[in-house]
Amino acid sequence: MIKLENITKYYPSRLGKQYIFKNLSFDIPSGHNIGILGSNGAGKSTLFRLLAGSEYPNGGKIITDLSLSWPVALATGIHHQMTGRENTRFIARVNGIADLDEYERRVIKFADLGKKFDLPVKSYSSGMKPRLAFACSIGIDFDVYLIDEVTSVGDANFRKKAKEALLERSEKANVIMVSHEMNEIRQFCDSAIVLNKGELTFYNDLEQGIAQYQAL
Amino acid sequence: MRLNNSHILYESQIMTTVLKRNKWEIWRDVIFALFAREIRTGFNDKFGLSWAIINPVIFISVLSFIRGSLGGPETHTIPTFTFMAIGILYIQSFLQTLGGSARSINQNKALFAFRQVQPLSAVLAGALFSLLIKITVIIVTIIIMYFIGIELNISNPLLFLACFILLWLSAVALGLIFGIAELFVKEIGKVRELVSRPMFFISATFFSLQDIPRQYWSFLDWNPVLHAIELSRSAVYSTYGSEGVSLEYLSGTVLVLCFFSLATYHICWKQAISR
Repeated sequence: MIKLENITKYYPSRLGKQYIFKNLSFDIPSGHNIGILGSNGAGKSTLFRLLAGSEYPNGGKIITDLSLSWPVALATGIHHQMTGRENTRFIARVNGIADLDEYERRVIKFADLGKKFDLPVKSYSSGMKPRLAFACSIGIDFDVYLIDEVTSVGDANFRKKAKEALLERSEKANVIMVSHEMNEIRQFCDSAIVLNKGELTFYNDLEQGIAQYQAL
Repeated sequence: MRLNNSHILYESQIMTTVLKRNKWEIWRDVIFALFAREIRTGFNDKFGLSWAIINPVIFISVLSFIRGSLGGPETHTIPTFTFMAIGILYIQSFLQTLGGSARSINQNKALFAFRQVQPLSAVLAGALFSLLIKITVIIVTIIIMYFIGIELNISNPLLFLACFILLWLSAVALGLIFGIAELFVKEIGKVRELVSRPMFFISATFFSLQDIPRQYWSFLDWNPVLHAIELSRSAVYSTYGSEGVSLEYLSGTVLVLCFFSLATYHICWKQAISR
C-alpha cells in the first residue's frame, strides 16, 4: 500500500500558486495493476513524480514500504551523448545493482537494439529510446513499476514483450501506468484511479473506472 | 526477492539482485556513477583534455612574457613564470570549479528523477571532476617548468596544498549556493558570470598585493582568492613573504562559506527540484 497523507502540491506561476493537490489523503492499494485516468493537466505525471520521489510535495508525506521504480517516461535519465551500454550501467550503479554484467545482458535481450546498443543514444530512432528506458526499468526487480506512456510508442512486437515481462512479474510486482489510450490501459491494468480536480477515486473494476472517466 | 545463494542463480529466470545499501553507500555509488558520466561526456569536442592544458599554458606564457618585459625575469624574488603560473592556475581553478559546480545542478536536472540522485551529489561529482582536471594541469605545468629550466622547489608544500584545497572548497561552496539559487531564478546564472569575471583582475593574478599602495589594501584583502594565491606564492618561495594575507582568514572564510551553503542546501533542495 502506498499511503498519501495530507499531500499539498502546487507550482508557482505568474498567476499565483497553481494547486494540483490540496490536503489530499488517499491509499493506493497494492496487488492491483492500476491505470491512472485523467484529462490533460489533471496532475497524472505530477502524482507519478511524487510517488517516485523525483519531486517532493509542498506539504504532507508519502509513506510506503514498497520499492518503486523511477517514473519511466520516454527517456528519463538517458544521456544522449552516451551509448546505450553506458546509460544502462549508469542506471544500474545509481540503483545499486549487484551484478552489472548480468543486468546489462538482460537489458540487451529486452531492448533488442542490436549493434546500436554501443552507439550514442542521439542516433536512436524515436521508438528506440523508450525501448531502452523501459528495458532498464524492467531489468530491475521493483515491487511497483511506474510507467508513463512508454509502451504506447513501441511497435506491436515491443508491446507484446513488455506485456509478457510485466505478466511474468505480476505475482510479485505491479504496475501503475498513465496513458491516454484506453486499449493500452485495458491491456496492462485491472483497476483504475480517476484523477479529477485534485481528487482521486479508486475503481476496483477497470471498465467502471473508464466509464466514469469518459463521463467526466 | 533477494537471492544470495549462488546455486539458485543457475536457474534460467534469475532475478537482478538489488543490493541493500545504507545511506553512505548510496551516496558513494551515485557520486561515482555521476563522476564516470562526467568523465565520459565532459570532453566531447575534438580538443578533449588537451584544451584544458593548452589554454592555461598559453595564458601563463603570454602574461609572464608581458610582466617579464616590464619588470625583469624575477617578480618579488620569485621567477616571473612561477609567479604567473600560480596566479593563473589558481584563478582558473577557482572560476572553473565555481562555474562547473553551479552548472552541474542544472545539467543533471533530468537525473533527479532517480530518487537516489540529489543535487549535492551532482555538485560533488562535478567538483571532483574539476579537481581532477586541475591537478592534471598543475602536474603538466610543473613538467613544462622543469623542461624550460625553472628552479622547482617548494619551501612549504603543506601550505601550498592547504591553499589549493581551501580555494577549491570555497569554489564548491559558492557553486552550490549559486546552483540552488539558479533552480529558483534562472537569471542568477547570468549574474554569476558577471560577478565572477572581475575576480580575474582583483585576485592578485598578475600583480602582487605588494604592488598596491598600502592604503588601498582594504579594497582587495576581503577576497579569499587573493589570500590563497599570495599565500601559495609565499609557500613556494619563503622570500616572497606573506604580508597582508593570512591562512586564518582564508580558512575562516571557507568554513563560513561551507556552513552557509550546506545550510541553504539543507533547507531548500527539495523545493528547488520540485518546481
